[in-house]
Amino acid sequence: MTVASPDLTRTRSQHPDGSRRIRVPGIPERLKYGLLGFLVVLPLWEAVVRLGLVKRVTLSSPSLILEAAWEDLIINGTLWPHIFQSSQQFFLGLGLALITGVPLGLALGLFRRLNYFLDPWLSAIYATPTIALVPLIILILGLGLESKVFIVWLEAIFVIVVTTMVGVRAAEARYLDLAKSFRASRWLTFRSVILPSSFPYILTALRLGVTRALVGVVVAEFFAANKGLGFFINFSGTTLRTDRVMLGVILLGLLGVVLGEGVRRIERRYEKWRPEFR
Amino acid sequence: MDMGLALQARDVRMEYVDQATGDRLLAIDRVDIDIAEGQFVSIVGPSGCGKSTFLKIVNGLFPATAGTIEIRQSPKGVAHAMVFQDSSLFPWYDIVDNVAYGLVCQGVPRKEAQRRAQPLIDLVSLTGFEGKFPYQLSGGMQQRANLARALTVDPEILLMDEPFAALDAQTRELMQAELLRIWNEANKTVLFITHQIDEAIYLSDRVLVMSARPGRILADITIDLRRPRKLEIKRTPEFIAYADQIWGLISTQLKPHIHDKAAHPGGEAVA
Repeated sequence: MTVASPDLTRTRSQHPDGSRRIRVPGIPERLKYGLLGFLVVLPLWEAVVRLGLVKRVTLSSPSLILEAAWEDLIINGTLWPHIFQSSQQFFLGLGLALITGVPLGLALGLFRRLNYFLDPWLSAIYATPTIALVPLIILILGLGLESKVFIVWLEAIFVIVVTTMVGVRAAEARYLDLAKSFRASRWLTFRSVILPSSFPYILTALRLGVTRALVGVVVAEFFAANKGLGFFINFSGTTLRTDRVMLGVILLGLLGVVLGEGVRRIERRYEKWRPEFR
Repeated sequence: MDMGLALQARDVRMEYVDQATGDRLLAIDRVDIDIAEGQFVSIVGPSGCGKSTFLKIVNGLFPATAGTIEIRQSPKGVAHAMVFQDSSLFPWYDIVDNVAYGLVCQGVPRKEAQRRAQPLIDLVSLTGFEGKFPYQLSGGMQQRANLARALTVDPEILLMDEPFAALDAQTRELMQAELLRIWNEANKTVLFITHQIDEAIYLSDRVLVMSARPGRILADITIDLRRPRKLEIKRTPEFIAYADQIWGLISTQLKPHIHDKAAHPGGEAVA
């Protein structure tokens, strides 16, 4: 059979009903299987809790979490002040980390001696888990907003500094030669070659900074806070309200995904600049 | 420097110190070159002979170990401008800003630089592509922009470092003819580096043949072909005779180079 008309028989044997399968590559298939994941996992989770295989207080369940979200976000709105508090700390901390981290990263990439001078300090602080510094930070800055913003800043700044620095080093020799050949001033060389070369890296730094800042928010609010999503999660946990714990975690996760995707969109627009795309 | 000369190089020597082994490496040695104003001069030679190194020294990217290079100072423009092998257009600038870059480097305000870049964009036939970005242009068009950028600063001498090496064969031929047209209109002195013998003969008034490392000038051949030259000229007996002569000179240089390469596994391949 296969000898006579191999192509035809093969096609027939694959699709005995004669239906044509159209493969749409990329996003639709991704979406399809992604949604399928939810449709499998969520009912399974619900069932496991409903059947009493796992206690409600241990794992909660999708319907209980949804109920908690309905109550806290819409009926009485008690979650909004926490979200607002966390957002404030997040954006202040990340904003400060960008304002300070990007120029510092640029400077470290440009000036070798400054790099040598600061490197041991940066490495030491980078290697120290931020959480270990929290008591010290609270001791110095108190329990207010300052200490929390500082923790977010500290958590986010290093990845921003290091990524920006790598961006400066990524400036290609041929562009630097070109600027030199036309006798560009140091300032113009910086503006026309180094800054645009490192721009995609600065966007990557921002994306990585978003993730780190989110960690910072939770760390800051786990200790000595009376508001914020971190506090909400921690407090709900100690009062055995698992549905609220889950709700807080999901909100943080959503925030991370949405912000990260936003930055990734901007990044994609500048991908053509990157050397590996040329 | 003598009157009527655009460039005069005397006894130029370039030594490198190999960072890994500490060996001294003589890249070019005793190079004397005179280029008259308005002349188109090419340097050909085997790969790794130091011709690009010489051009970079002329361009001031690094100093020679010894010797002097004098370039006629222009009253209005600059002494020299470089057309790089890869177009080196900034991917983050559109074409007009790329072409205007040389003027911006001289402190000309951006708007005025763009205005002054326009005639050169027209000259290299890129009219209508001002707002495009380099990745939207073909390799040949990128090299046109590259050429326009160098011409914008009105250099006394145009330095071209294998500008068509990365192009496909047909585009390269067309660009050679284009370059002659532009050279004719812009009226510039050109120092052109290539490893393509036919390219050098077709374009040049004089072809300088460089030896294998250390690079020295082996021969200075005046190309007596009538201008304007059509691409068909490459198939005439006179042209082929020049090509044979130059190839004969270069081939004497290849044997020792291959031997040299065998001794140093990191050596460059022969073209």
